[in-house]
Amino acid sequence: MSLDAIPIHVVNAPSGEPGLTGNAPPLLRELLEQVRRLLDTGEPSAIDLSALPLTPADLDWLHDKLGSGEIAVALQANGESTLNETGCPGVWWITHRNEQGAVTSQFIEVTFVPELVKAHPRDVAIGQEQLEFMISDL
Amino acid sequence: MQGPLIDTLARQGITRRTFLKYCATLASMMALPPTAGRAMAEAMAAARRPSVIWLPFQECTGCTESITRSHSPTIEGMIFDMISLDYQETLMAAAGHQAEAARANAMKENAGKYLLIVDGSIPLKMDGAYSCIGGRSNVDILKEAAAGCAAIVAMGSCASYGGIPKANPNPTGAVSVSDIVKDKPIVNIPGCPPIPVVMTGVLAHYLTFGSLPALDDKGRPKSFYGDTIHDRCYRRPFYDQGKFARTFDDEGARQGWCLFELGCKGPVTHNACATVKWNGGTSWPVESGHGCLGCSEPDFWDGGGFYKALSAPADPLKFAAAAAVVGAGAGVAVSFANRAKKSAARASHETTTLADLEK
Repeated sequence: MSLDAIPIHVVNAPSGEPGLTGNAPPLLRELLEQVRRLLDTGEPSAIDLSALPLTPADLDWLHDKLGSGEIAVALQANGESTLNETGCPGVWWITHRNEQGAVTSQFIEVTFVPELVKAHPRDVAIGQEQLEFMISDL
Repeated sequence: MQGPLIDTLARQGITRRTFLKYCATLASMMALPPTAGRAMAEAMAAARRPSVIWLPFQECTGCTESITRSHSPTIEGMIFDMISLDYQETLMAAAGHQAEAARANAMKENAGKYLLIVDGSIPLKMDGAYSCIGGRSNVDILKEAAAGCAAIVAMGSCASYGGIPKANPNPTGAVSVSDIVKDKPIVNIPGCPPIPVVMTGVLAHYLTFGSLPALDDKGRPKSFYGDTIHDRCYRRPFYDQGKFARTFDDEGARQGWCLFELGCKGPVTHNACATVKWNGGTSWPVESGHGCLGCSEPDFWDGGGFYKALSAPADPLKFAAAAAVVGAGAGVAVSFANRAKKSAARASHETTTLADLEK
């Protein structure tokens, strides 16, 4: 017996497009809370998207809602990573890819500047040595 | 060879940002707070590499394949930069007496400090004669190597639980590492094969915090085995809505609905496939349309048919009734649907007989 043969009265039919689970909208509220925290205490936070039960359609929905902002950073380090500010300043959509282009992890970071963008003091020191070497060679 | 990890990596052209990015992904997979990646990178960059001895016993080398042939050699290859791998039969250049000498040497030089990785089960029947290396039985070698190690990592379902060699009728008397070694900390990393990054995660944890990660009651790292496949499955919402594929080519299968009725063992299987995925995050069994086999649980091989639903009721007529209740509950609040389904399952449940399993 198939379900079609049974008169079913569906209450509150799941709305929206196929593939949407309804797990994405609550994330907007969590982001709001995190943005508040960033403004009040300066504490950055992040949501690990790969750890949540989100379908590709959910991610698209979220991406669509947040939109894109003015800054898009591309990092070439064992595959491309993109660190893009969304339409909400301080909210960054960060995607890490491997060399084959597959997504290895995905975060939404709430911070003024993502840590990965900043140069590490020890690397800056190496840069300083390089500059000194260049100048000594002039 | 011995120096801070970051210098070793730099010599291989791996930049700090590459390492940071790797640690961010690793921290994500280990269910650490997203901000832990940086702390982890700092600690690991400065860490000295521990000596590791890897003993292969009654195994198929699938675990080694899983680790060494993962998608991105340079990144997963970092596992070999994090450690000083002093003995691994499959990978080492030395053979015969030289290989055995290397093992003895590493055990002596790093007594009490080395990590022992074991893959494969240990046969006990006929005094362990079923599997020998250099004329010595596996159980003999394991006892000797375990005596001087700091901790043991049991790689794969065989080393963790006995695995396929232990499947009925267990002709070789195969047992797990924890059946033999009782006085050392043991981390089980089950899976057939296990997910490569779990291995890396355990090592990273050891290097970052100087201890083994928190383990569950089966000795598995909680961060990777804390949730069931079902809990983290992207098809879970369809289960909650009562949408199931009933054959491998029906409308439900094409729509990507829940594979529970096709025998998916996700609800009783603890592993990280749903979040970490396989082949460099490309896909994983459920995403490719096949239910979970439950390969990271003890005795999965003897658990009944791979294609029998976990709760398959014996009577098909009662099964249809259960489906109708589930269907009616589909649109209502999820919790209500779950309650309806549970009571329907209870109502229709009968003891499964051997004949049912053969169907």
